[in-house]
Amino acid sequence: MNGSSSKEGVRRVLGSVKRHEFVGRSTELERVVAQASDKYNGRGLLLLMEPAAGVSELLRQAYDEIFNQHSHVVPIYFAFTRNETTAVAAAIEFLNSFLQQYIAHRRNDPELCHLALTLQDLLELAPPDDFDWIRQLVEAYERQRFSKDDKALVRFCLGAPQRIPESFGRPFVMLDGAQLAEQLNGSVSLGTEILHVFDRANVAYVLAGLRRQILQSAYNAKLDFETLDLLRLEQLSVAEARLLVEQLGQRQHVAVSEEAKDLLVQQFGCSAFFITTFFQAAREKRTGLISYLDCERLYIDELLGGRIQNYFADLLEEMAPSNDLRLALVRLLWESIAGDQRVASFEACRRRLHIQADEMETILQQLHIYEFVNWDGSLVEFADGPQAWKDYLKTRYRLNLMNEPRALVVAEALADALKRAPHTMARHYRQVAKYELRDLISLFDCQSIPSVLLNYAEFSKRWKGARLEEIMSGMGAETERLSLPQVVNVASAASFNSDLRQVCDERRCLVAHAFDSGFYADAREIVWLVAEVDSKTEVPTELAELWCDRLDRLAITAGFRRHQVWLVSSEGFNEEAAETLARRGAFFSCRQQLDLLSDRLGSTPAPAVRPLDDANEFLVVVPMGEDNELLAANTVEQIARRLNFRPEAINQIKTAVVEACINASEHSFSPDRKIYQRFRLESDRLVVTISSRGVVPTNIGGNVAQNESTEPADVSEERRGWGLKLIRTLMDEVEFERVDEGTRLKMTKYLRNSST
Amino acid sequence: METTNTTIRSHCVGTTAVVYASDYLNKLTGERIERECRRQLDSGCRALVIDFSDTELVNSIGVSILLGIIDVAERNGAEVVFSDVNNQTRALFDMLGLTRLVAVANDENEALTNLSVKQPPPVIN
Repeated sequence: MNGSSSKEGVRRVLGSVKRHEFVGRSTELERVVAQASDKYNGRGLLLLMEPAAGVSELLRQAYDEIFNQHSHVVPIYFAFTRNETTAVAAAIEFLNSFLQQYIAHRRNDPELCHLALTLQDLLELAPPDDFDWIRQLVEAYERQRFSKDDKALVRFCLGAPQRIPESFGRPFVMLDGAQLAEQLNGSVSLGTEILHVFDRANVAYVLAGLRRQILQSAYNAKLDFETLDLLRLEQLSVAEARLLVEQLGQRQHVAVSEEAKDLLVQQFGCSAFFITTFFQAAREKRTGLISYLDCERLYIDELLGGRIQNYFADLLEEMAPSNDLRLALVRLLWESIAGDQRVASFEACRRRLHIQADEMETILQQLHIYEFVNWDGSLVEFADGPQAWKDYLKTRYRLNLMNEPRALVVAEALADALKRAPHTMARHYRQVAKYELRDLISLFDCQSIPSVLLNYAEFSKRWKGARLEEIMSGMGAETERLSLPQVVNVASAASFNSDLRQVCDERRCLVAHAFDSGFYADAREIVWLVAEVDSKTEVPTELAELWCDRLDRLAITAGFRRHQVWLVSSEGFNEEAAETLARRGAFFSCRQQLDLLSDRLGSTPAPAVRPLDDANEFLVVVPMGEDNELLAANTVEQIARRLNFRPEAINQIKTAVVEACINASEHSFSPDRKIYQRFRLESDRLVVTISSRGVVPTNIGGNVAQNESTEPADVSEERRGWGLKLIRTLMDEVEFERVDEGTRLKMTKYLRNSST
Repeated sequence: METTNTTIRSHCVGTTAVVYASDYLNKLTGERIERECRRQLDSGCRALVIDFSDTELVNSIGVSILLGIIDVAERNGAEVVFSDVNNQTRALFDMLGLTRLVAVANDENEALTNLSVKQPPPVIN
């Protein structure tokens, strides 16, 4: 009931649900409400929404919160709808809504927001103090209305909130559905006009809509992004989406089983829009959602004749108003998604639709903002979009283009959805139960790990059957280590070769572009090809080789100059397979190794420049040159003594520090000519980090130690490359860490065998 | 007679020059030692003893300069002996292969003794 008081005492004004029923988005809600504060006065907030993520209720909740504060801030919410056909009509509707909401706020009467009122009605309802300025506004509007200058009229209407006398309040305008504003007919581009008007009006505002559209409008309006705030709105998290499903079930009186809740969350990709729409349909049809069959039956109903169908049909109709063109578009979209030709040229698309270039541009622009395609101006990449979109296209294609019997299409669509449901859930549960491979790879970030974690044969030999605590403790003492690269991009291998979709889940076969030691140079560039191999037992040789071949072929086809194969299998690899993989230079791990790796990577992030941790850490900064490395060496000597290192070990550490400082001085081209040294005492080790700013040549650090392009000038130059060799020999662990500017050398000396 | 080349001490015993390395053998001090050794070789010395009794720390640039000195001595037909090298420095020399090229004596006297045994007596006309 609108305008009623909830249990929390917050009146519902525009919100569809009470505040406590509004799921997720609490941070976003706070941020939108904050935009109304004095702090943000005059600034715009662009709310960039992922398609179907749902934004309207967020803005309505923000409206209610501000309305109920009853402060000098006057909230104005306006949603563009498909009912308005021209920019002028939408602008007039905005003026009407503005006045209605202003008067409701001034009179503290939420009910007024929901009445159908004319401007004359509003004038009569205006509080006495406001009567004069509102009358003037209405009169000015009447004059402007007959001026035949559409742009001026649109600007007048949109600018109306600025006319509120300062002493009566400060407007805070929230505009919802900006993508619809761009689709209105007429000579005025409303989206751009909105941004023009509000950007210059010194009025705080929120413009919410599809992310690609909003950004495009902002660029078109030549807005100064310095004066704008951006807030991205993506799909709900799985937990939030599940909570939404639960609440909708209660609110809409729809019985939902636990299994159905999980399925709906996954099937709709956590989209608040689709989930809400689906429950509205369930309520109307009085359908319980207990089994997968209940869910999919309703889904297919909605897909072929309900809200989901209407939603996509409206979108397609806006893009392609004529029936013939729409059908041609459905054919193009479905055949591209279903087939291998995911990428096509603009011209190829235009020819298939038999339309002019400008018409094609308009259609592609629309498809692009809804993220059904990615269009860069020339090439068109057909994206998957939500599952419901693919199902919609497929059913339309079969019904309208292949003229298949409706009963057959319905039956097969239902069967397909039912068959897909367990796979959808299996994929989800696999992800929940375990690591997400993509996230794990992204954590690499030049971290050093025990090599055994990437070698199942070795791991199995040493740790199979051992207790977890024992293994974890053993990992801590591992001295044979491997420095992981810095991964800069991870993508599904299917994006490189669509055939791989047939043999592996997209999330389980990945291509990770990386740089060894985090040095951005050709010689350090490496592509990790990672695949999770399905096998209930240890992977046999044939399967291991098959995957190696697949990934090697992918590397060749894609032109990767250097690649590293890493196969992962739940139960590991049999002895022969392990030998084969080792011979081929591949890494191979079982699930337990991945768990350990995940634990290590998560718990030991790559050190960044950070303040000193505690009393066991020391930071020394010395200028380069003038034998200042001796100062560092003397400091580290004092620190090493605290851990009772043997004199020989102390000398080794000193020499390594000296060498590291020399390296930093000689190679870094440092702008500040300073060497930063961090000494950290741990219970069983001393960790020394030497860093400097500046660009570092590629032959420093890492295993690929030689720069092929530069030969040593003479023998003594050659001999000068000994520093790193020495450091590696003197210290137990040496690793170069990536920093954007310069380099950081981290050296560790363990106390074991070193103490007296 | 003992001479100094800036801070490098040296003296001659017969045709053998004894050059004393400083506490920190780096580029600067290494080049000074090199210059002194060249000067001694140019003056007719037939052997070099480089004494490390004061040396606590050696860096890789210092080592590379020592290798240069060994090369120069070899070209001049002169032998090089290191003396009084502490354990840490000895380990470093081992690691970088210097000890394969030169003899290492416990102290200056031992170095001189070894060289006198090896060196043929001067020719008297």
